[in-house]
Amino acid sequence: MQQLTAIVTGASEGLGKSFAIELAGRDINLVLVALPGSGLPELASFIRKNFMVTVHHWEIDLTHSESYAEIFTWLKEQRITTHLLINNAGLGNWSWFEDKNIAFYKMQIELNVITPVLLTRLFLAQADASVTSYILNVGSLGGLFLVPKKQVYGATKSFIRYFTKCLQLELYGSNVKLSLLSPGGINTKPELLVMNNTLKGISKATILEPEQVARIAIDGLLKGKKEIIPGVVNRLLVLLNSLLPAYIKDNIIKRRLNTILVS
Amino acid sequence: MKVLVTGATGFIGRQLTLVLANVGYEVKALCRNTDHPYLIRHPNIEPVLGNILYKQTLARAMEGCEQVYHTAAVAKLWCRNPDDYHETNVIGTRNVLETATKIGVQKLVYTSTCGVWGPTIKHPMTETDPRITGFPIAYERTKYLAELEVQDFVKQGLPAVIVNPSRVYGEGPITDSNTVGKMVSGYLKGSWRFIPGNGEQVANYAFLDDVVAGHIAAMCKGIPGERYILGGHDISFNDFFKTLHDVSGKQLNMIRIPLKLIQFYSQLEWLKTRITGIPPVFLPEFAERLKYDQKYSSNKAVIQLGYNITPFAKGLAKTVNHLRGSKSKENENNESLLNDNLNNHQSAQLCSN
Repeated sequence: MQQLTAIVTGASEGLGKSFAIELAGRDINLVLVALPGSGLPELASFIRKNFMVTVHHWEIDLTHSESYAEIFTWLKEQRITTHLLINNAGLGNWSWFEDKNIAFYKMQIELNVITPVLLTRLFLAQADASVTSYILNVGSLGGLFLVPKKQVYGATKSFIRYFTKCLQLELYGSNVKLSLLSPGGINTKPELLVMNNTLKGISKATILEPEQVARIAIDGLLKGKKEIIPGVVNRLLVLLNSLLPAYIKDNIIKRRLNTILVS
Repeated sequence: MKVLVTGATGFIGRQLTLVLANVGYEVKALCRNTDHPYLIRHPNIEPVLGNILYKQTLARAMEGCEQVYHTAAVAKLWCRNPDDYHETNVIGTRNVLETATKIGVQKLVYTSTCGVWGPTIKHPMTETDPRITGFPIAYERTKYLAELEVQDFVKQGLPAVIVNPSRVYGEGPITDSNTVGKMVSGYLKGSWRFIPGNGEQVANYAFLDDVVAGHIAAMCKGIPGERYILGGHDISFNDFFKTLHDVSGKQLNMIRIPLKLIQFYSQLEWLKTRITGIPPVFLPEFAERLKYDQKYSSNKAVIQLGYNITPFAKGLAKTVNHLRGSKSKENENNESLLNDNLNNHQSAQLCSN
C-alpha cells in the first residue's frame, strides 16, 4: 500500500499530539502544524526517533490565513500529496460572555471556523482523486448541547457540525471521506486536568483521555463513519438528548447553571 | 550552612538528610511527626515539626536556611481521599515555593518523578520528549501540575531546579511508595511469586544512593528551570527477577500472569474499594500501564551534573543485604553507609561554594 501522509493542526499539545502519535503508530507520514514555542520541534523529533515515518513540522499561527498557501505550495514543490487532514486546532473557553475581550472572540472564531474551512478547501484542491482522502473535523458535544460559559465556542462547533454534514452530502460518492468528531470532555490542558478530576458520577464518566479519543477517532475516520462520538456515556447522552423534550433539557441546564453560579 | 529537607521521613528524603548531615550541613528535617521511626537521629539533623499544607509552619522551618530540598509528596498508589494528591503535591509545593521566595533561599531542588513522562515507545525518554498519554494516575498528574508551579516560580526569579528520579530502589525502609522494596522483600519471603504478562515489560530502576547524590549535584550545578532525569538501568521484569535470583541465591518458580487477567483483577479491586472502602491492592490505571515500557535516559544528568549510575546487580545486592539484615545489622549498615557516603562528600563539598 502507498504510504499515506496526514496534516495535523494544533499538533503540539493535547488531542493534536495524540493524533500525531496515533497516526505515526499506523505508519502514516506527518505534516504537523502548531504555534511557535509550543514544543512542536521536540514532538517532531520524538516521533522521528520512535516511529518509521517522515515528519515535517510548521510552526505558524493559523489565525494568519496568508500562511496556508505557503504550506501547500511547499508540499507541491516537495511533490508530497497529503491524504488525511485532521482539523484539530481550536480555542476553547469557560467564561461568561462579558469576561473575554473582543480580540479573544475574534481569534477563537478565526481558529475554530475560518481555519478548518480554508484548510479543507486547499486540501481538497491537492487531493489525489484516484485514492481515498480523509478529513476529520474536530467538533464537540458542545456543538449539540447548550452549555453556558461556552457560548462562542459551542457556536463555532455548531458551525463545524453543519459544515461537515453538508460537505458529506456534497462529496457523497466521491473518493473523499469526511468525519465529524464529537468528543465530550478530554483530559488535556493543565486547568482541565484539575477541573475534570473534581467531577463525580456521570460527569466524570464523560471525560476521556486524549489517546483514547485519538484512537477511536482515527478508527472511525478510516472506516468512513459520518460522526464519531467517543465513549459509551457520551453516546447515551446524545441518545437521551434526542428523546427528551426541550423543557426538561432546559431545566437540567438551568439547574447545572445554578451549581455553576454557586461554585 | 543550613538546609531544609521536606519529606525527611520519606524514602528519598530520609537518606538525603543523612548524607547532607554527614557532609556537615546543618539539616532541618521537616516532618509531621518528630517521633517518626524513619527519622534519622544525627547531631547535624534537627527535626522540625511542620506540614507543607500550613504555611506558618513552613516559614518557621525555613527560617535561616540557604537551600531547600522539597521531597515531600503523596506517592502512594491509593488515597482514601483522592484530593490528597492535589492538596499535598500541588498546593503543598506552591506553599513551599512561596515561602522560599519570601525568605529568599539561594536555591531549591524539587523532587519530581519520571512519571511525568510515564510510558515510552521505543527509545528511552529524555527531558525534552513529550508525554504520549494522558494522566490517569493521580500521582503522575499532580507531580506534573507541581512542575508547572515550579516553572512559574522560576519565571518570577526563584532559583529552582527539578530532578526526576525513576523507580527508586535501595537501602531504606519499605515505605508506601517503595514499590521495589515491597517486591524484593516479598520475593525473599517467598510471598511474591508472579511476573506480569510475558515479563518483557521494561522499567527504569534508580539506586537510592545515586538519586541522593544526584539531588546534591543538582543543588550545586543544576541550572534553574531545568529538569534532570535521575535514573538507572532499563530492566525487564524477567531480568529483574533473574538478577534478584542471582544476587540473593534464592530461587522461586515465578508464575507469569496474563495482562488480561491482571486487568480484570484490577477492575474487581476497583469495585471492591468503591463498595467497601477497603484499600485496593491494585487499580486499573496501573494495569493499563503494564502494557508499556518505561525507559528513561539519565544522559543529561550524567553530563551536566556528573551523575553516577550504580550497576543494577550491585545495587540490588546491597538492597537484598539490607532487607535481610536484622536490627543490629541495620546499625552496622548505617555505619558502612556513612563510609560509603564519604566518597560523595568530596564532590558535594567541592561545589557547596
